[in-house]
This record gives sequence, C-alpha cells and structure tokens, in this order.
Amino acid sequence: MKKGRFLLRWGAIVALLVTFSLTGIEAMGVVKQPVASGEQRADIIMIDTLKTFGKLEEAPVAFLHDQHTDALKKQGKDCTACHETEKDRLSTKFKRLKDVDMGTVKETYHANCIGCHKEMKSQGQETGPTDVSCRSCHSREVKASSNWKAISMNKSLHYRHIASDAIPKGSEEANCASCHHKFDEQSKKLIPAPGEEGACSYCHKEEATKDVQDIRSASHTSCVSCHVDVAAQKADSGPVTCQGCHSADMQAKVKVVKDVPRLKRNQPDAVLLTVADAKTLATDSKGLMKPVAFDHKAHEAFNDNCQACHHDAIASCATECHTVAGDKKGGFVKLEQAMHKPDSQRSCIGCHNERKAAKDCAGCHALIPEGRTSDQSCSSCHAEDAKLDGTAQIKSMSKEDKAAMATAMIEARKPAGIFKISEIPEKVLISDLVDTYEPAEFPHRKIVETMYAKVAKSELASAFHTSKGTFCQGCHHNSPASENPPRCASCHGKNFDATSNARPGLKAAFHQQCIGCHTAMELEKPAATACADCHKERK
Amino acid sequence: MNRRKFLGLVGATAAVAAAGTSAHAAGNTHFTGHPEANAVLFDATECIGCRKCEDACNKVNELPKPDKPFDDLTVLDTKRRTTEKIYTVVNKYENSKNPNLPVFRKNQCNHCQEPACASACFVKAFKKTPEGAVVYDESLCVGCRYCMIACPWSIPAYEYDEPLTPRVMKCTMCHPRILEGKLPGCVEICPKEALKFGKRDELIKFARNRIEAYPDRYLDHIYGENEMGGTNWLYISGVPFGELGLEEGLGVTSAPELTSGALAAVPVVTGLWPVLLTGLYAIHKTREKIEKKEKDDAVSAALTKAASEAEAKLSSELEKADVANKRKIEVEVKKAVEEALLPKDDDDAPEEEA
Ligand code: SF4
Ligand code: SF4
Ligand code: SF4
Repeated sequence: MKKGRFLLRWGAIVALLVTFSLTGIEAMGVVKQPVASGEQRADIIMIDTLKTFGKLEEAPVAFLHDQHTDALKKQGKDCTACHETEKDRLSTKFKRLKDVDMGTVKETYHANCIGCHKEMKSQGQETGPTDVSCRSCHSREVKASSNWKAISMNKSLHYRHIASDAIPKGSEEANCASCHHKFDEQSKKLIPAPGEEGACSYCHKEEATKDVQDIRSASHTSCVSCHVDVAAQKADSGPVTCQGCHSADMQAKVKVVKDVPRLKRNQPDAVLLTVADAKTLATDSKGLMKPVAFDHKAHEAFNDNCQACHHDAIASCATECHTVAGDKKGGFVKLEQAMHKPDSQRSCIGCHNERKAAKDCAGCHALIPEGRTSDQSCSSCHAEDAKLDGTAQIKSMSKEDKAAMATAMIEARKPAGIFKISEIPEKVLISDLVDTYEPAEFPHRKIVETMYAKVAKSELASAFHTSKGTFCQGCHHNSPASENPPRCASCHGKNFDATSNARPGLKAAFHQQCIGCHTAMELEKPAATACADCHKERK
Repeated sequence: MNRRKFLGLVGATAAVAAAGTSAHAAGNTHFTGHPEANAVLFDATECIGCRKCEDACNKVNELPKPDKPFDDLTVLDTKRRTTEKIYTVVNKYENSKNPNLPVFRKNQCNHCQEPACASACFVKAFKKTPEGAVVYDESLCVGCRYCMIACPWSIPAYEYDEPLTPRVMKCTMCHPRILEGKLPGCVEICPKEALKFGKRDELIKFARNRIEAYPDRYLDHIYGENEMGGTNWLYISGVPFGELGLEEGLGVTSAPELTSGALAAVPVVTGLWPVLLTGLYAIHKTREKIEKKEKDDAVSAALTKAASEAEAKLSSELEKADVANKRKIEVEVKKAVEEALLPKDDDDAPEEEA
C-alpha cells in the first residue's frame, strides 16, 4: 500500500533525526550524573573551599570521606593524619586551622592530597590520583549517589548522652556544660550556662559569624572530637564516620530509650498563654482574646525535642519575635499566625492538623473543609472562663497565679463522654433511595462505639471532643449537635445542584460519607465497589 | 488524484489537514462559550472505578453489549479508549499521592467550547449546541474522518465494520436527555457524584470553592476551564492531570483560533505541499459553496423576517400615534374650555392639579 510505505519513510526520517540528536549530545561530552540506582553513600563531600575567595576556577572535588578514613586506619593512622587539633578539638579543616589566602589553601590540598597518594603508590598500595592533571580530581565522576540524612538530637539520644559514663556526672553543671555553653562577650570565651541550655542551632546558624561557628563545624568539632576521645579510652562511644550518623540505615540502628525522664530546665507544667506581647499588654489590653491554658508537660511528651515548637529560641513566642503586630525578628509572622498557621508544623493548628490526618481521625476530619470554624472552635482553646476578663486582668497576676489558673483550667477539661448507649439507635435502615438495591442496614451503635473508643484513647482527641455530640457531627454535620439529629434527606435533595449550597444529592451524600470515611481510615472491607456488601441487589 | 488517495495523504499529515481546512473557521474575537451552557464536572478524588457510568451510557445510548459485563472490574487493568461502540471508558491509574489507592478517570468527549472536530469538518456534521453538547449529524457526514484526526483527545471513533453507512461515534453528553430535562445517563447513575451536572459557570465556581475548602485534597487547577479554549467536561483531581492520561501541554487556545493564525502557514510536510494544496483547494471550494449557500439562506430568511417585523411594528406604532394624538387634542380642548370658564380673581391660588 502506498500510504503504508509513505508512513514508513517518514518514520525512518524521524527515527534518524532522533538518533542523530542523541549521539550529538553524547559527542558533546555531557557528563552523566551519578545514578540513583548506584551505590548509596552518606560521605560524599564536595570540596569547594576556595569559593570563599571568589569564583571557582575548577569544578569542586567529590571526596569520599569514609573511604579515606578506612584507608588511613589500615595504615594505623587516625583523624590527626588530616585534621589538626585546637584546644583539644579536631578542626574540620584539612591540614590547617585557618584559611589564610587562596594560594596557601590551594597548595595545602594539592601538596597533601597528591603527596599522600604518591607515598602510598610508592609503597605499592592502591590509592587515588597521583598525576598533576586537574581533571583527575576536579569533575571526577562519582559512581555513588548521596543518601546523606540529617540527624536530630531527639529525647532518647539526648538522654543517652546525659546518662553516659563518658560524660562527667554528679553536678548538673558538669554534666550539661560538657556540651552546652554560651559565649561570653567580655572574656570572648565559652562559659557554662546553667539553666539557659538550648538547642545548638539557637546560636550556631547555617552561616558562621565572627564569633560563632556555623552549625556544621560546631557539631562536627564537638561531637566527632568527643566520640574519638571516648573511643580512644576504649569506652562505648558514638559514631566517628559520616555513615555512622548520616545514613538512614545506621540511624535506624541507633538504640532508642522509650521512657525518657522529663528534662528539667525550669520549664512550667502549665502556662497561661496570654494573647499579647508585653507592649500590647501594657498599653492596650482591653478586650483582647482570652488566654489559652497550655499543658506544657503533656506537649513535652508528644514531641521529640524543644525545637519542635521553640524553633529559634527558648523564649516565649510573643516576647520579641511573634508579636501581635509582627516583627522583623520573627519574619513578620504575627502571633495569631504563629499559633494558627494551618500548614506550619510549629503552630498549634498545624501540628494538630497533622495528627488529624492519622487514620483514626481522618475518617471524619478528612471530610471537614479546612479552616472551617464553628462557634465552639475558638473557645475549645481560648477558654470562656467566667473569672477571666480577657487579658486586662491577667496583667496584674503573678507568674505563679497564672500557672495555678492554667493548671485548674486544664484539669477542668474533661471529655464529656457520649450519649446514653441504650438511647443510641443500634441499627439504622437506610431506605430513602431503594431502587435496584434493597435498603442498607447500617450498624449505627457499633460505629458510634468504635469512634468513641478511638476518641477516648487519644489525649488530644479527648481534649477537643468535649461535648457529647462533638464526634457525632462527623456524620451528622452542619446542624447543631443533638441527641436527635435530623435525617440526611432533610437537607440532601434528589440531585446535586451547584447553586443550592452545592450539597451532594442524597445518594451521593450517603456514599460519599460511608466510602469517604472508610477510604480515609484505610478500612479494606467492604470495598468501595462491593455494592452488595452493604445493600443486596433487588431481583 | 482520487479522493481516497488524497485522504490517505491527509491522514498521514494530520496537523496540516486540520490547519488548512479550518483556516477560515474563526475570526480573532475570543469566544467564551454559550452563557447558559451545561457542563459535567468529574472529580477524580471521588471516583471509585465502579464502571456504573459505562453501564448507564451503554443503556441510554442503546449500544451493543460488551464482551465482559460492566461489573467485571478486571477490565480496569488495561488502558482502554473510546470506540464506536463505547462512548465512555473509565481507566485506572497509579496514585502518586498514595500508592495503595489507585485513581480513576472517566474518558469521553470533552464537548469543547470551540470544537476542533467541528472546525475540521468541512460539511459541518459536528455542531456545538448552546446547551453545551457537541453533536453529530450523520446525514451530513461524508466519512472523511478529519474530526478523528483533529480531536486533541482522540475521541471520535469510526464504524469501520459498518459497510453501507459508517458513522462517527462519540459521547453526545446525552443531548436528547438534557433537552428533556433529564441528567446524562452517566451522571445520573454515579453513586459518588464523581460526575456533577450543571451550568458550566456555576460548576466552575463550585469547583473553585471545593479546591479552596480542601487544599490538600485537590490541585489548584480545573482541567478544561481553559484547555483548548475551554471544554464543557471539566475535571478536578488530587494528582497531576498528566498522571490521569489527560494531555497537559494543550495550551489555552482553541483549535479554530490556533489554525486561523500564522500557525496554519507552518509547512509541516514540505514535500507534500503541492499535493495537499490542490486537495485542500478543492475541499475549500466545496466548503465555501456550502457556506455561501448557508449564508445566502440565512440572509434572505433574516430579510424576510425583518421586513415582516418592521411592517408589524410600523402599523402598531401608527395606531399608537393615532391614539396619542387624539388624546392630546382632547386634553388641549378641555384645558382651553376650563381656562375660559375660570374666574379671574383666583389667579394666585396654588395650582394643585399641576
Ligand atoms: S460511576 Fe462514578 S464512581 Fe463509578 S466509575 Fe463512573 S464516575 Fe467513577
Ligand atoms: S473532545 Fe474531541 S470530539 Fe469532543 S468536542 Fe472536543 S474535539 Fe470534538
Ligand atoms: S453523557 Fe451520555 S453519552 Fe456521554 S458518556 Fe455520559 S451517558 Fe454516555
């Protein structure tokens, strides 16, 4: 057929074009990127130190740190073969303590890297490049891909350090001060800071400043130096290789202490969170939002470390950063946003939203629109305590008074339970729409009981489902909680109508509610498409 | 060159065919759709892949029974497309958001606001109705199958095994049912209301509200709102539309607008130009003839209508004018009589009747 041959000819031309362009790219010497399917390593370091002196003349060097540590170990050498020590701590820099100038730093690398490789070669050992060709190291292709993973000092790991025999115990000062310190402006020295301990990253930021190391150098000089020293004493020590801390495999193997005693750092058990910063409170405190009684102790137990909430400093959020009006220090995130931003893991609502996404909760909560507030939603946290006149009155209360009031308010929060079980319909026959199917028999009471059990076992859920009808509203929504909620057909008409409040039609209302909840809870049975599992087909 | 050979060549060079034949199809004004047009909104986060819609479509359109029954969900394991006997198919896709939970998409004609199929059809067998559907008239169709080539979603299918009067078959949006005030068959049956029927602009508003209320559930995009100049079948989803087999790079320009511009001049298949041009010229002439006749018919109909309307209006205006005049004279006479009878000393009394 003519048409067939014609198409074939065009196909061949297209194919030729494609091949040409592919080989064209290949011929231009585009370097292949390390593939994910290759070896995974946590120790790939790109040496680009010279960029502090200006634009790089050569591509950074991909350096496999653990490979070098191993090779040196075999020769009986340790970290000091490459890293100098300063005040008992290993410097993270290679063969120097300071970056004097570009020429010196460059020469340090070239002389020592190539020098060592040459020496090993002369001893007949397998080693890295020994020639003086730049490309042997710069733009070298690395076959492995990086699986580096940040490690966080969680409660368990922190506790294992406190309890370690390698760290002086006895006084809190000796114990904590082994790692925690502060910078004394006057003496320009690091001094212990009892009672002021915080996360390293509060002071050690991504970038170093004149007096403060960057977080990367600070943690490596401190952690690795200490691990090396302790290991030298043949005591049980932490990892000293990249892999040891930064590969997911090794992190999974880190021993976890389950019941870590509560860390004490003068923090309160309960706080009355006033909805204002000091300035607002002092000048214009009338009619402010009611305070929130915050169960600090309970939240400590739910989180990995203080940084989960106190992300930048241990100070109260509203003091300097998240003021009512917003401040540069807090990235202009206002107090209200800091507490309510739905997509921030550090805000109350953001973190609670994450919990609501869990299987047990998602059945109802996935179907509730985001940002939906009811009359009750503010007051579930901002308690309507008769004794409290907004914030005005709090001004004059002492810290202790406030804590006591918060404790009392937290204790007063009791889950309300459910309506009398015997009054809750056991079975509901859904027969509004019978056509090709028989009515569906809905095991109403069983579902209520299952839901209640899930609410009761979660502290968070118990704290929020405080009226008897709260969780009934997962299904009986949009009308006030009641023992006798209206039937679905009262609001859901025959068909969907985009104009009338966009409610689903009755058939869809049932199916969306049942199937939607089962899907969100990842319940496998009945399958969404197993019609007869819920209603028998009419014959 | 005989017609068959010519069509074969055109078939192999789809873009040129579509471009050339519709070069005069659209002006430069932007058409934003018929104001009252209906649409269907498909929500991929609701669809459970039950195939009830396929079943209903088969029934309401009296299409032949398929080999496997509609409750056999194993057919979802292969990607299917619409055929001359199946106006709609539901396909299953991997869910990049949750690997344990597949997603589904129903496929059918998208009922473009400015359909490529219609603009490619030189006998105007396809028509966009003000109600929203793109319908096909088999009595006009000459079987050239340009529509199949032109459709960006490869929807129309041809009855190849129909020896005498093969037709082009596709979803009709259940236009006859809509005219009767009924819902399209698939929409009516869907247990999850993954298909919603309504006025296009209202559905778009609804979809926007929905996306805003459930930002984690949906991507912030309504597929079909603008794609190819907008369609009357719309989609919302939690995963990128490309993952649901919906072409994402179509742009927002409608087919007729695209092909009426400079793009129509791009020589896709240089060597074929003389052949194509000759053929296209012939087709174009035919089309022009049809268009001219239609235009003439329309003009004479409009003129007749206008003339009779004008006549009717004139006589009714004359009547009205007549009545008004009479009334005016009466009022003037009355006024004059009253003035004459009025006593002179009442001059500074306030004029109450004014
Ligand atoms: S009937 Fe509805 S839920 Fe079922 S496959 Fe069709 S669109 Fe999806
Ligand atoms: S989707 Fe294809 S067949 Fe349907 S109206 Fe658009 S161009 Fe025509
Ligand atoms: S609108 Fe009608 S023709 Fe189109 S898919 Fe639905 S049932 Fe089939």
